[in-house]
Amino acid sequence: MKHFIGLVGTNSDHSTNRQLLQFIQSHFREHATIELMEIKSLPVFNKPEDSSVPTDVKEMAEKIEQADGVIISTPEYDHAVPASLMNALNWLSYGIYPFVDKPVMITGASYGTLGSSRAQAHLRQILDAPELKARIMPSSEFLLAHSLQAFNEDNQLVDPEQIEKLEGLFADFVIFVDLVTQLVHAHGSNKKAAENFSWDNL
Amino acid sequence: MKFVGIVGSNAELSYNRKLLQFIKTQYQDLFELDVVEIKDIPMFNQSDDQTNTAPIQQLNQKILAADGVIIATPEHNHTISAGLKSVLEWLSFKIHPLENKPVMIVGASYYDQGSSRAQLHLRQILDAPGVNAIVMPGNEFLLGKVKEKFDENDQLTDTNTVKFLQGVLEKFVDFVRLVNRLEARKEEPLPKEDLYVTDTIETTIECVDMAAEDWVEQAAAKVNAVEGDTYVKLNRGILTVDQINTFLASMPMELTYADDNNQFLYYNYTKEAEDMLADRVPGQVGNPLALCHPERSLTSVEWVIQQLRSGRQDVVRVHVPTHGPDKFVVHNYQAMHDDEGNYKGINEYILDFKPIVDWYLQQTGLRLEGEIDAGSGASQQDHGVDAGSGASAKA
Ligand SMILES: Cc1cc2nc3c(=O)[nH]c(=O)nc-3n(C[C@H](O)[C@H](O)[C@H](O)COP(=O)(O)O)c2cc1C
Ligand SMILES: Cc1cc2nc3c(=O)[nH]c(=O)nc-3n(C[C@H](O)[C@H](O)[C@H](O)COP(=O)(O)O)c2cc1C
Repeated sequence: MKHFIGLVGTNSDHSTNRQLLQFIQSHFREHATIELMEIKSLPVFNKPEDSSVPTDVKEMAEKIEQADGVIISTPEYDHAVPASLMNALNWLSYGIYPFVDKPVMITGASYGTLGSSRAQAHLRQILDAPELKARIMPSSEFLLAHSLQAFNEDNQLVDPEQIEKLEGLFADFVIFVDLVTQLVHAHGSNKKAAENFSWDNL
Repeated sequence: MKFVGIVGSNAELSYNRKLLQFIKTQYQDLFELDVVEIKDIPMFNQSDDQTNTAPIQQLNQKILAADGVIIATPEHNHTISAGLKSVLEWLSFKIHPLENKPVMIVGASYYDQGSSRAQLHLRQILDAPGVNAIVMPGNEFLLGKVKEKFDENDQLTDTNTVKFLQGVLEKFVDFVRLVNRLEARKEEPLPKEDLYVTDTIETTIECVDMAAEDWVEQAAAKVNAVEGDTYVKLNRGILTVDQINTFLASMPMELTYADDNNQFLYYNYTKEAEDMLADRVPGQVGNPLALCHPERSLTSVEWVIQQLRSGRQDVVRVHVPTHGPDKFVVHNYQAMHDDEGNYKGINEYILDFKPIVDWYLQQTGLRLEGEIDAGSGASQQDHGVDAGSGASAKA
């Protein structure tokens, strides 16, 4: 059985993106174990000169390294990814490289009609940066619009079409994870490139 | 013209900070730039609203009072820095100071792409409905490979870059004029001011007739106001009331304090009305502002307070040429704010600064150019605030 990390893309106490990941966690428990990961406690990234990274971040990185893949659920703030998620990704690429070649599936929820589409597009570009270089599942998008109305009191998605869509994407993601492990040829050099890559040496 | 320049990096050594500082000094003839930092602003959190803390309110006030904003963004992982994004989220949550504000984007990064992707994201973010800034189109200024671009005195070394930047900034100045002219037309009218002080605030001394000649004595008795050699603790120091008086009396200007309830509470009484630049008499203290000014100038008084209270302007200055050519008299109406940025009233300071200018010219050998036209009140155009104040109203 696969093991995934479900990265909650917000520090908010009440989050429909957290709800969505909780739903995914329980709905697919036969197919994968999913551990939810929070980004709440991290300090504001400030490029510390000594390149030190908080212990919380190191532990998160370790868990991501160990996992077969990561599902990130992002809210949309001002047409983009929330600062708190950007912040976590900055820490998680500062001298450590847990995302390099890591299979990633992106989901997102928003209160409005667009379901965080613009934030998701940004997140793809972010995850493609040299020190993250994740393997993002292509041609897939899960947008949960009107997210405040999307769940019932048992935290189940109410729209069967959404559930069906999610099941399809999740099945694809499991296959995608296996595919990525076969894309080993570039892996060594990607990892090395990220490690040798330093913005300070440019 | 006054701009705010936001350093989009909270790093100790930041090239974006260097860039804004260079812009500030190199192009000071084009505009005045207040370079502000974001490192004291906490990570945005929807469930922990900190909009009313000092760092956020200070930035809010500065942006509201500025004619335009220049944002210098780094690029982290193909987007803007998390610190800068967090600031923009605070400024689009409960408050919206960037709404309809002209903004120009610049950016410096280590890579040859020079923050190009971050700048595109920033445009989209500034365009989101909660932010709603008016970003100058085109005119990208990217400073790639930034580590090679400054000399040891933090000056940009490439003369073409300096020239190009000048061109872009000149366009921004035009852009700001244009936008502010468009916006002026649809600016919401501001709420009326209660110039007769029909309401009270927390600090109002109640049950004393504000118009009374001896308001100060009555009010002091009412609250047991300290005086004389009693010590008062201040930020930052301790003085006796006598020392505070000595200190304020020595200020080379006429100082007046009006609170946010439009009540005249204090002036540094050293001269009789006829020797003052703007006449005040001791019996006026305590009056509602409406009683300190002649009826015909009340609309101007109201306009000034509206500007200051709303943050549209941080200070309103009026040049008063009626004292003749051997005085440079300016009335300054400076908005006061508490640590949380709440409007607290007006610090009105009136001075003749010619002695300072004369001294400075003598020291430096510089000269003033052009004729001093004593008669014209050009700068008073639309909203002249009547120079003569209270005494004339009382008469
Ligand atoms: C500062 C701020 C900006 C926001 N901007 C957007 C936006 O651009 N688009 C959008 O759909 N929702 C926006 N929202 C509303 C919701 O927070 C957003 O829909 C979010 O994705 C909900 O996710 P959550 O339930 O996990 O917090 C914004 C909220 C805040 C606090
Ligand atoms: C985590 C991290 C990610 C970065 N990603 C990028 C990037 O995607 N593109 C880029 O041009 N520079 C990147 N850089 C280097 C930046 O160019 C540099 O930190 C910043 O833009 C310089 O601005 P400052 O000196 O004002 O902080 C990155 C740096 C860090 C620490």
